[in-house]
Amino acid sequence: MSTQMLEPVDVQIAGRINEVLDDDEEVLIRATTDLDENRRFGRQCVVVTNRRLWVLPESDGQIFQVPVEQIVKCRTEPLVGGGHLEVERRGEPMLYIGYTDSQAVKFSEITRGLEQLRQGNPFLINPQLDKLRCDNCGRLLPEKNSICPACIRKRETLKRIAVYLLPYKLKAAVIALAFAAMAGTQLLPPLVTRHLVDDVLVPVDGTASMDDRVSLLGLLVLALIGLRLLNWSAEWVHGWTAAWLGAQVVADIRGHLYRCLEMLSMQFYDKREVGTLLSRASRDVGLLHDFLIDGLPYIIINGLLVFGILGFLLWMSVPLTLYVLIPVPFLIAWGFIFWPRMRTFFSKWSQVWASLTDRTVETLTGIRVVKAFAQEKREMSNFARPNLRLREVAQQTEIKSGVFIATITFLTGLGMLIVWLLGGQQVLDGRITLGTLLAFYAYMWLLYGPLVRFGQIYVEMTRAFASAERIFEVIDTESESFEAPDAVRLPQMQGHIRFRDVTFGYDKSKPVLHGINLDVKPGEMIGLVGKSGVGKTTTINLIARFYDPDQGTIEIDDVDVNRLNLHDLRSQIGIVLQEPMLFSGTIAENISYGRHDATFAQIVDAARSANAHNFILGKDDGYDTSVGEKGAGLSVGECQRISIARALLHNPRILILDEATASVDVATEQQIQQALGKLTEGRTTIAIAHRLSTLRNADRLVVLDQGRIVEQGTHTELMSKRGVFYDLVQLQQAMDAIIATRE
Amino acid sequence: MTSSISKISDRTEQPPVIISHPGDVAGSQLRLTRDLKQILHLTIDSDRTWSRVKVVRAAPLTHPDRYISFLDEKGVEICMIDDPGSFNEETLNIINEELDRRYLTSTILSVRSIRNEFGTSYWDVETDRGEREFVVQNAEEHVRRLGSHRLLILDVDGNRFEIPRLEKLDRKSLGMIERTL
Repeated sequence: MSTQMLEPVDVQIAGRINEVLDDDEEVLIRATTDLDENRRFGRQCVVVTNRRLWVLPESDGQIFQVPVEQIVKCRTEPLVGGGHLEVERRGEPMLYIGYTDSQAVKFSEITRGLEQLRQGNPFLINPQLDKLRCDNCGRLLPEKNSICPACIRKRETLKRIAVYLLPYKLKAAVIALAFAAMAGTQLLPPLVTRHLVDDVLVPVDGTASMDDRVSLLGLLVLALIGLRLLNWSAEWVHGWTAAWLGAQVVADIRGHLYRCLEMLSMQFYDKREVGTLLSRASRDVGLLHDFLIDGLPYIIINGLLVFGILGFLLWMSVPLTLYVLIPVPFLIAWGFIFWPRMRTFFSKWSQVWASLTDRTVETLTGIRVVKAFAQEKREMSNFARPNLRLREVAQQTEIKSGVFIATITFLTGLGMLIVWLLGGQQVLDGRITLGTLLAFYAYMWLLYGPLVRFGQIYVEMTRAFASAERIFEVIDTESESFEAPDAVRLPQMQGHIRFRDVTFGYDKSKPVLHGINLDVKPGEMIGLVGKSGVGKTTTINLIARFYDPDQGTIEIDDVDVNRLNLHDLRSQIGIVLQEPMLFSGTIAENISYGRHDATFAQIVDAARSANAHNFILGKDDGYDTSVGEKGAGLSVGECQRISIARALLHNPRILILDEATASVDVATEQQIQQALGKLTEGRTTIAIAHRLSTLRNADRLVVLDQGRIVEQGTHTELMSKRGVFYDLVQLQQAMDAIIATRE
Repeated sequence: MTSSISKISDRTEQPPVIISHPGDVAGSQLRLTRDLKQILHLTIDSDRTWSRVKVVRAAPLTHPDRYISFLDEKGVEICMIDDPGSFNEETLNIINEELDRRYLTSTILSVRSIRNEFGTSYWDVETDRGEREFVVQNAEEHVRRLGSHRLLILDVDGNRFEIPRLEKLDRKSLGMIERTL
């Protein structure tokens, strides 16, 4: 009848649990901690039954049992790097059960369950346990419940890149043909020169006449010219098609990546810095591009070449072939030792790059603050450290690959010596001809050459694969689903918002909102009030479904927002933020951002309603004035009015005002207030304002404190109640008084 | 690095910074006690008392042994003591117990293995709390260098591992860490 959370435990502990439990005791939760009773890494088993809480140590130690009726209160306390479950008992010391941050979510569920039992409420917890290790290889997972990176890589990555080639089958086939031609035209010349030596220059049997030899010479040279020509045209075809195809495939991947970035949820962006993402979009795609155009073709051509050469070498002389292959195992072994290390260096390189970019972006966006505090020099030296680090990493990487290449060159040099020494002996013994020896020598260069460069190519490939991995990581991240097939369509929203027992935290173990219940009627204007950090912005983030609640539901027009078509939802929500975000483009383009189909008359009308029309006309280019990044060239108040016009034109059913007038002066605020008055007419509005006076025309004020709704009512009602809101108003009036006297 | 910063501050002469909130409580005035239920009580000068007090470090990384702050049940500071030398012995013991309970950072004693794969590293270490395996993503971001020889490592779940003095580690461990960072 109830949910159970049962974590697998080893037989020994399971046996001990069975031993201590009464026959009629029902196990509701069985879970293990990752800290023992002395807060060392180890385990304790926590068992919650319908009657008691049990704590069993891993080895022999004291077993605790707490009857449910003895519990006064249970709560989790977040500590640094972990937390503990506090069980306050009647007449006994507090019981602490410690765990690290890896187990925090699980223990907040356990605490919830214990509280439900204690209060006699129905036992309802989320019994889902996090998957911390890969089922396949048993490694720890980099992200809980996600895929194991070690188990999908390498071949998968190549396959995924290949998928992008599929639309261009014909061009790919042309390239393959060119590859074959290139390999063939490189393979044959040493055979021709062997003929040249053995039958023309130093004839082995000496029977052919001089005339025959001269004409054979001409024929062979002609053959060489033919091969050269063929090679040249194959190179040309390949160069042209490969460049085209590589660039095309990378453009496809880049487009895919960008589409994915746009569709990702806010949660994804919360976890990552924008600079890191920029680096993925530019540098990683660039590296992949280089690999597809230069690296991959090289591998294919030279792969073919190596096999062809081996075939000819074995055909000419088996023993000598075996001799010259002696250095090859060393080459391969050396590669195996070296490559894993090189890989680390390259991914480190790109990480340091990203953090340096982040740093630069941060300083440049905050340049006004830097200058105001006269900290240019300090920022310079702060930049110097990561810059130095990048230099170090780059140098280390280059040095290591330098050592690698030098070693390879040394090993191949040994191979050449073997050809001269052992091959020379065989020529003297008459076992092979001079032509064969020279062909061997030529093939050696052809064979070791690619092997040496395979080293570099492998590095490039590794780098490109690391880049591809990072790109695919973004592409694979689950995007917001706009087109869930069973999503409820709601093209004509009424704007009735209802929060039912909503609990939410950006970090699930630390809820920001607790059990919020709120009913906002269509067309009603609600003011959200409270100190900073009490969850006002979080509340509106949930309405726009930037995040999903951890518990409880949010309904719009009686439909759970999670089931609502996301496009229908967002297209009918308008948001005006404290810091208006305008995009580069003209003022008119910015106003019509949400409605590309708007006519110019409609744009002007919206601007008029937003009290923006007049100042726009004052600009040299009027509505065609271009707005720089973040609205450079316009004052904050002007930007704000443009963003209100944008929201007006968007014509949303639900309007969200997040501190819309906080960063403007009083005169501008009045104008904006007027504009907002028009905007809120007939729409469900949720407004957050620091200045409580600006919420005077709200139908109802909702006061939040520490993630809970503590008061609700009209301005007058709340003032007469003399509660939290009254205190806030008093505080603000006192502040205003201070400001007034100073002015 | 530090030398160039100090050079700059030497050159610019700035007015002295004045402390306007001097600590008005000395460690000797404080008494921490636990009742039968293990709930913590703080008494100042035997006339003011708070219960369910929290003890935190103001700067756990740079000044772990100084600037001990006492918070009330709601998380509002009661007072901060700069120098723990002035506490009486019983209070000091309780403070140490509380700090030990609160800060679950573990100290890495030796590294058994670190495997690196595409910016993710898998660590297997021996700490003062016992053996532990953990995963660090994006080492550049989650391994903080505190000074030139001290490291703080945050794993994917936010658990903390500290290496107070890199040079005290054995060479094998040090080599593995250097290859990762």
